[in-house]
Amino acid sequence: MFSVILYGRNDSHGYNLHKRAAISFNAIAEVMSDPDDELLFVDYNTPDDHPTFPEAIQDTLTDKAKKVMRVFRVRPEQHVHLRARTHLVALEAQSRNVALRRSNPRNRWILYTNTDMLLVPRDEKESLSDILGSIPDGFYQVPRFELPEMLWEAAFDRRDPAGNLAKLRDWSMRFHLNQVVLNHMPMRYDALGDFQAALREDMFAIHGFDEEMLLGWHCDSNLAARLALYRGSVDTLIDKVFGYHCDHTRVAAANNKGRQTKMNDHDRFLWNVSSPYLPAQAETWGWPDLEVEEIRLDRDTAFERFAAGIGAAIQPAAEPYRTTNVEWHLFHDLTYDLPHTLPFVCDQVLTYPRDSALMIVGTRADFLRHFATAWRAMGFSGPILVPDECEGLPVDIPGVEAGPFADLLRRSDMFIFEFGLATQAIDDPVRTGRHPQVIDEKRLKVVSRLLRQAASLEEETRPKGRRLPRRFIGVNVIYNRFWPLFTDYVSANINPFCGQVLAGIPRIAPGMKGKVLRFRGRHAI
Amino acid sequence: MEQASEIGIVMRLSDKISGAWRKSLDLLAGRRATTNSRTKEEELFIRAHDLVRAGEFKKAVAALADATAVAPDLVAALETQGELYDMLGQPEKAMSLYEAGRKLKRGLRPGAPDRLFVLRRPGRSTAEIAAYTTVIQSVKQRVLPLIARGNAFLVEGRPAEALADYDAALKLKPGLSDILVLKAEALLMMGQFEQAAAAFDSACAVQPRNADFLSGRAIARLALGRLQDADADWRLQFDLLPKDRAAARGCVALRLADYEKALPEFERALEKEPFDPYWRLYRLTALHRLGRPAVFDDAPRRDEWPAPLFELYVAPPSAAVALAHADNDERTVEALFQLAVLALPNDPAEARRRFNQVVEKASPSMVEYAAARHELASLGA
Repeated sequence: MFSVILYGRNDSHGYNLHKRAAISFNAIAEVMSDPDDELLFVDYNTPDDHPTFPEAIQDTLTDKAKKVMRVFRVRPEQHVHLRARTHLVALEAQSRNVALRRSNPRNRWILYTNTDMLLVPRDEKESLSDILGSIPDGFYQVPRFELPEMLWEAAFDRRDPAGNLAKLRDWSMRFHLNQVVLNHMPMRYDALGDFQAALREDMFAIHGFDEEMLLGWHCDSNLAARLALYRGSVDTLIDKVFGYHCDHTRVAAANNKGRQTKMNDHDRFLWNVSSPYLPAQAETWGWPDLEVEEIRLDRDTAFERFAAGIGAAIQPAAEPYRTTNVEWHLFHDLTYDLPHTLPFVCDQVLTYPRDSALMIVGTRADFLRHFATAWRAMGFSGPILVPDECEGLPVDIPGVEAGPFADLLRRSDMFIFEFGLATQAIDDPVRTGRHPQVIDEKRLKVVSRLLRQAASLEEETRPKGRRLPRRFIGVNVIYNRFWPLFTDYVSANINPFCGQVLAGIPRIAPGMKGKVLRFRGRHAI
Repeated sequence: MEQASEIGIVMRLSDKISGAWRKSLDLLAGRRATTNSRTKEEELFIRAHDLVRAGEFKKAVAALADATAVAPDLVAALETQGELYDMLGQPEKAMSLYEAGRKLKRGLRPGAPDRLFVLRRPGRSTAEIAAYTTVIQSVKQRVLPLIARGNAFLVEGRPAEALADYDAALKLKPGLSDILVLKAEALLMMGQFEQAAAAFDSACAVQPRNADFLSGRAIARLALGRLQDADADWRLQFDLLPKDRAAARGCVALRLADYEKALPEFERALEKEPFDPYWRLYRLTALHRLGRPAVFDDAPRRDEWPAPLFELYVAPPSAAVALAHADNDERTVEALFQLAVLALPNDPAEARRRFNQVVEKASPSMVEYAAARHELASLGA
């Protein structure tokens, strides 16, 4: 019957964002009753190494919310062409249009709201699906009622949507919450963007939200103006449903800088709107030709993929624990426990697109073999690229492609540089004072050289069309002699030794030291 | 004692102030209601809104009840009464009024699907005229409120007032094709076909592949007797309309009296809206004109228009019965057109007479008008 369209980004904004979003997702799912209903969340421009916002809070969502939710992940690389035109990191019009394009065509209605709203049918026996199924064609709004921040923070259980809706029915009268704020037409009510229900057919006819609105604010008013022109009237559903907004004014929203807030031009996008249509974007709105990843929370989850990958690559441990050692006299011992390290490496890649091409530059054949098994079992379809320069690495594994480093560099979406001992077997003891053999040193030298080259040439060797820096993952680069090398070229955080993994994008320090590093990298010295 | 008398004076004074305030609002409502040639229901609706703003909910309810007595199809008046009863703490009464409004709305038929979006809207626009009049007073020198109110006037069949708003909008945005086309539609409705065609030409010069614009220009051209020019616009409109707008494509084809093209479009339109009586009627028309057998499954309810026109296809045509059921000019035209179509195989002279009646009585914007003009052209009339 209806598709709800929401958008956001996993950027840890505000101390209570996660709670109100979970309350809202669960409450909206609770009032859905038609099998075609869906909750579409566009996760816009979340960094590639983060999970999407709904994935990050999935443990607080009800089974029903997970079942109805479809997450569309718009990657930073897909947003980058707009970066110069906006100060915002999440774009409303683009997000909502991406979802609209991909919404269930069987649904008659599109409902635009936000991740802090609870929709309460006035007749508790009715679902929102029942309500939308019973009303004539039109463009509907409901007024937004404010919910004091303390109330939802302190009294709502995010996993009890039915209880929360019942509380609202009580509080609305007890605390005099229901104040309708009327507005000029075509915005029938204030804060109209929290409930605008339009026919899916109408939204396609008027070409979705205006994607020229890149500065934030008034997207809802623009839509109201255009739909009001198209339909002629703005109808109300106030007799059927009340909408409550989880007030969150203790911490201002990212796009709210008081009187200094940048906004879309009110006159251009509201009072001087002259047509419902946007012919300039008629063919392109919602990026119809762009492949946008869809993530489900009720199947094929990140954990399921991770467990499948690790399960396929290694056996469970046979002992309660193993030890390693961080004492400084072992600084030159490059042995590491592969079965322990592999899950941390997999964790670094899991959030990336499944068709990514990954280059592995390393020393240990067993690392490549085990990682390649995990890579496929985690559902990645992109190739693992191994440079010819890395001698001793097996390339007869399905999905592994070999070639000259210089060629592969232009195909890779991310990199793993592994600094182990080629002579270490998987069952050898670790960090016992072992010294590298000649062959180990020879291979480590190649890995070091290729790291310098890859980092120094990263910007100019990106695959065609790619504009953002690629990710470098270092394996066994903590508290050993390759730690300084890796962090000279890659902006990695300080991570615990236990994980054995660092990651980041290339960042070579400015100044003389940086010039020397870059020179060494470029000229393979 | 002294204090009590002071309170009494203050209370009397506040009563007087409050009375004066209400009186001035009433006067304001009255003045606003007479600034234009307002309909009775519009005056009542505006008065009700002013009373709501003054907090006089019960008087407002009475004004709205009067409005619905004058214009029973005024959905907005029912809805606003519902809101008022809600605010008066009578939700049951409120719900019944909201529902009555929705029921009314459900029964409204939109305009021809191949026309400009404004002309596809069903129902009344009294509330929008009132609302945008308020906006125009606050938001000056901006086109949206003027266009929106102009559109509302157009839907209400008041093209002269619509034209005034569009002209005001064009002063702010000279030459803007989105407004020019609206102005052209207003002129078309006023019967000023030369000026309408010129305005459509200006709009089409900017957006030559806008299907809605072409639709209006074709009508204006046909009204001026430029059949070939009109046909060129309709043919291009047909090609430009997306496949999923089958009803719109069917109507364009029917205007051209191109039944081969119209038939599959109405069949596809019926897949989407299986109970739409007009798509069924037009499908039947196309089948008949193509000499193919027509299958009658379930005709619309006998008491609902256009059921009497289906009857014509079942029983021997009874012009008198069909025309008797047609209770307005548009329905009369629809009946005359169907009678002409049915007469055509056996009695071309009678068909010609009926098609001529259609052309005489119909507005050029009606599908039947254009189809009749094409039929007459084929008959050599």
